[in-house]
Amino acid sequence: MGIPFAPSPPGRVTRWVRRNLFRTPFDGVVTVVGGALALYVVYRLVRFVLVTGRWDVVRDNLKLFMVGRYPTVHLPRVSVSVIVAALAAGLVAGIVHRRQLAAGTSTVAHLSPAARVLDLVQRFWPVLLGAVLVLALTTTPGPTLTAVGALIAAVLGRVVGARLPKRSHWVVVLAAVATPFVLVGYLADALGWDGWGGMMLNIFLAVVSIILCFPLGVFMALGRRSHLPLIRWLCTGLIEVVRGAPLFVLLLMANVALGFFVPREWAPSDVMRAITVFTIFTGAYVAEIVRGGLQSLPRGQEEAGRALGLSPARVTFLIVLPQALRNVIPAQVGQFISLFKDTVLVGAAMGLFEVLRVATAVTTQGEFQGQNLLPETFGFVALLFWVGSYTMSQESQRIEHKLGVGER
Amino acid sequence: MTEAVFADATQVTGSGEPIIVLEGVDKFFGDFQALKDINLRVGRREVVVVIGPSGSGKSTMIRCINRLEKHDAGRIVVDGTELSDDLRNIQEIRRETGMVFQQFNLFPHLTVLDNIALAPRQVRKLPKRVAEEAAMQLLERVQIPEQARKYPGQLSGGQQQRVAIARALAMTPKVMLFDEPTSALDPEMINEVLDVMKDLAREGMTMMVITHEMGFAREVADRVVFMADAQIVEVGTPQHFFEDPQEERTKLFLSQIL
Amino acid sequence: MRVLRWVFQIAVVGAVVGLLLVLIGNVRSNSSELGIPTGYDYLDNPAGFPIADSDFNQRQPVRDAIRIGVINTLRVSLIGIVLATVLGTLIGLARLSQNWLLRNAARVYVEVIRNIPLLLIVIFAYAGIALVLFPRITEPWEPLGIAIISNRGVVVPWHDASGWGIVAVGAVAGVVAWLVARLRRRHADRTGTPARSGLWGGVAFAVVAAAGWLLVGADVTLPELAGRGTTGGIRMSPEFFAILFALVVYTASHIAEIVRGSIQAVPRGQAEAASALALSGFQRSWFVVLPQAFRIAVPPLGNQYLNLTKNSTLGSAVSYFELAQVTSISVANGAPAVPSYLLTLLIFLAISLVLSLVVNVVNRRLALVER
Repeated sequence: MGIPFAPSPPGRVTRWVRRNLFRTPFDGVVTVVGGALALYVVYRLVRFVLVTGRWDVVRDNLKLFMVGRYPTVHLPRVSVSVIVAALAAGLVAGIVHRRQLAAGTSTVAHLSPAARVLDLVQRFWPVLLGAVLVLALTTTPGPTLTAVGALIAAVLGRVVGARLPKRSHWVVVLAAVATPFVLVGYLADALGWDGWGGMMLNIFLAVVSIILCFPLGVFMALGRRSHLPLIRWLCTGLIEVVRGAPLFVLLLMANVALGFFVPREWAPSDVMRAITVFTIFTGAYVAEIVRGGLQSLPRGQEEAGRALGLSPARVTFLIVLPQALRNVIPAQVGQFISLFKDTVLVGAAMGLFEVLRVATAVTTQGEFQGQNLLPETFGFVALLFWVGSYTMSQESQRIEHKLGVGER
Repeated sequence: MTEAVFADATQVTGSGEPIIVLEGVDKFFGDFQALKDINLRVGRREVVVVIGPSGSGKSTMIRCINRLEKHDAGRIVVDGTELSDDLRNIQEIRRETGMVFQQFNLFPHLTVLDNIALAPRQVRKLPKRVAEEAAMQLLERVQIPEQARKYPGQLSGGQQQRVAIARALAMTPKVMLFDEPTSALDPEMINEVLDVMKDLAREGMTMMVITHEMGFAREVADRVVFMADAQIVEVGTPQHFFEDPQEERTKLFLSQIL
Repeated sequence: MRVLRWVFQIAVVGAVVGLLLVLIGNVRSNSSELGIPTGYDYLDNPAGFPIADSDFNQRQPVRDAIRIGVINTLRVSLIGIVLATVLGTLIGLARLSQNWLLRNAARVYVEVIRNIPLLLIVIFAYAGIALVLFPRITEPWEPLGIAIISNRGVVVPWHDASGWGIVAVGAVAGVVAWLVARLRRRHADRTGTPARSGLWGGVAFAVVAAAGWLLVGADVTLPELAGRGTTGGIRMSPEFFAILFALVVYTASHIAEIVRGSIQAVPRGQAEAASALALSGFQRSWFVVLPQAFRIAVPPLGNQYLNLTKNSTLGSAVSYFELAQVTSISVANGAPAVPSYLLTLLIFLAISLVLSLVVNVVNRRLALVER
């Protein structure tokens, strides 16, 4: 929201204030009244955060919030997982940077290293803020060491990733996609599926479902555009039925009714049920987004591919799909943000011990009971989700700008 | 701006006082200067054609005249009213100036008739019947009365631009500003629009026209203004301008387009 | 080649049908093993549970409970849609304001609310606001002595819902308002003066409605404390308040973005052309920009309305008896799970279909005429 300035005559500030705050008398009233109100809200908020907030309820239960009932002796596994994930993210970022350099689309290539760090801070300040606040609430050195380790791993990955030979890129990217599954296995090894809890469970559900729903969504989208009528009807029906259903009801249903659909000895664990529902549900939305991307592609692309003598399958997978998927990245990210936020539903619908349920539960335990500490615990959880969602949405807007989508 | 160019730019054709006066106008977009010290006068009933490479500031100049862009320095006077931050002054000037855009900018949700009658009804407070009768007369003047009940999306580009001209004329302006009125048209439709503009000029309308149609400039213009790099480089009668350009920049431009 | 295609399709469909058959078979065998019926006969069984804020009796059949659930879902959804649209539009316009403070306050609202889970807002509105911030029923707030606000809900005066008189008054007032507005527009067309038909119609409506209301008796019941409860007026339960509040606050943040995006999506040239014709700021918005923005906004708005309706199921997290809550309580009270949930899904599917049908019709009627 840049304000176009004429080359600075004196009184720039005065002019800005007049133009942006006191344009008309009514505007002035809005500014004064709204300003007073805003100041009061900010004052109350700051007081709540610094003075009146009973943050000990969060501090004492921080482990519960973050990792649920994960056994303390196994906590190093969480640290290792975070560091490995940071390394993978760093590697991918490095590769992306390298490719952008090669294609000349990098926006940071001309910046000095210091300016690049500043750019990163501007982009990821919510994450930094969240990390600092969480670390401020810790009482043991473990989390801080983990955070430092993750930072080092990310930087290392970024540096190494940018120097990897081009041929190895697809191996690294595949490995990065596989990493979450390896880490999940590694983490679950310590306590099994249903012991998961806290923010770790929310992130786990979101990440696994995102990775699984993506191919499902793409195939349903292709199916819905298929020339084969039966396949088309099948996919259309599935997509529309799932999209017409409330996610919460699907989760309730998975909780009490899914068991009826399989032989009883196969009855899946609660976490598996949740993942199944999230995957199918988000898959249907992804399918519609991908279909939009396919439809918005000019017909000429497909015709050009055909004219080159490519088979229909190759035209789809080599020409049409890559462009369509690229164009819908922002919409996809939006859908994934929804999924991330929706992971809190598994607490209310299935009784899993995810972070919102932790936030409710800790306000009823012994010393914190009956003191209305919901603002503190819910505020903390809201912050965690806000950090994740806001960062994702800002990044997706960056991508959107880069793609030039929605620009006139 | 050299003194010779200044003299050409401020000396209106024919007699009488100028209806549009630009004095030392500057315009910035951020750090980019779009207009540098523009001085120009347009006389009553005069037709001034503005040409120049894209990005030279032609559009910005005529968009400053009816305050679609705000100039940062200098004076702009239209028919005795000086353009200032005062909203009444701005509206006064906008009522006196009609504008035709490259992209027509017809209102797609209104019929052709409503497009033309909207401003007379809302701004001039004319009764509906009066405004619509006037609109029909204008449509006859631009030779598409049969399209009155259609929507802009149903018309060809040439027809749309003629409706846009009728819409601007409906406010009975003293000055008409044309911002590349034929650039978005298919070649076969350019003439139908130019013909309407020629008729207007013949009837004595004061016009400022940005165009790449050199034939139109030769035939209709009283003066041709050549702009480049945010400045007015050369001003002259069509004959003078096309046969005997003075500035190197002008010669280069003419050699590229002719 | 063609044969191959059909073989492939039939194989896929066969596999899907086979899978469905296996699943249905599993449901049957699992149910019979557990002694649970699989049909829809349970709808006539007594529900066995009460429903707060209704005269539902637990000996009434499940069918009635479901009907109340559907009504409650529709009630909170419809009121939510109206309020969220109003709030969202205001915030969306505020985001485009020239006032820096207003613009950024709206932006902060949108960026905060959009990025936190709805369920968090729902539960907080219930357990953090409605039950805690509102005083106990023994010491309620009684602003102006006409309303009672406590953690038992908000009670406001209401017309004593007896007979159709009030409906008739509303209808007459509506017709009169319509006639007055039409007359004003005709007059404006003739003379060119501003029509202000909305203002005149509104005043006419208010005058006629007030007169008619006095005529039919003006029965208003004021809320009164009665022991640990209230009588008279109309009561909004804390549960209803919480889900409605959360739905409105959350959906408004999304609607605000739609409103802003739609207005910004109207090409700049449109506003410029209007300015060049000397239309004033208000006329520019009202006659040129907003009608076109509305057109752009309809499909995504319809989507948000659909989302809001589906999100109303989160009411069950605070025990508001909408459809999902009725279903899960009735399953807990012995109704068979699979048929119950399938029925619920079917009802939501029907609601979605009707809503998207309405959106499609509106969309088609608004579509620009192109050649």
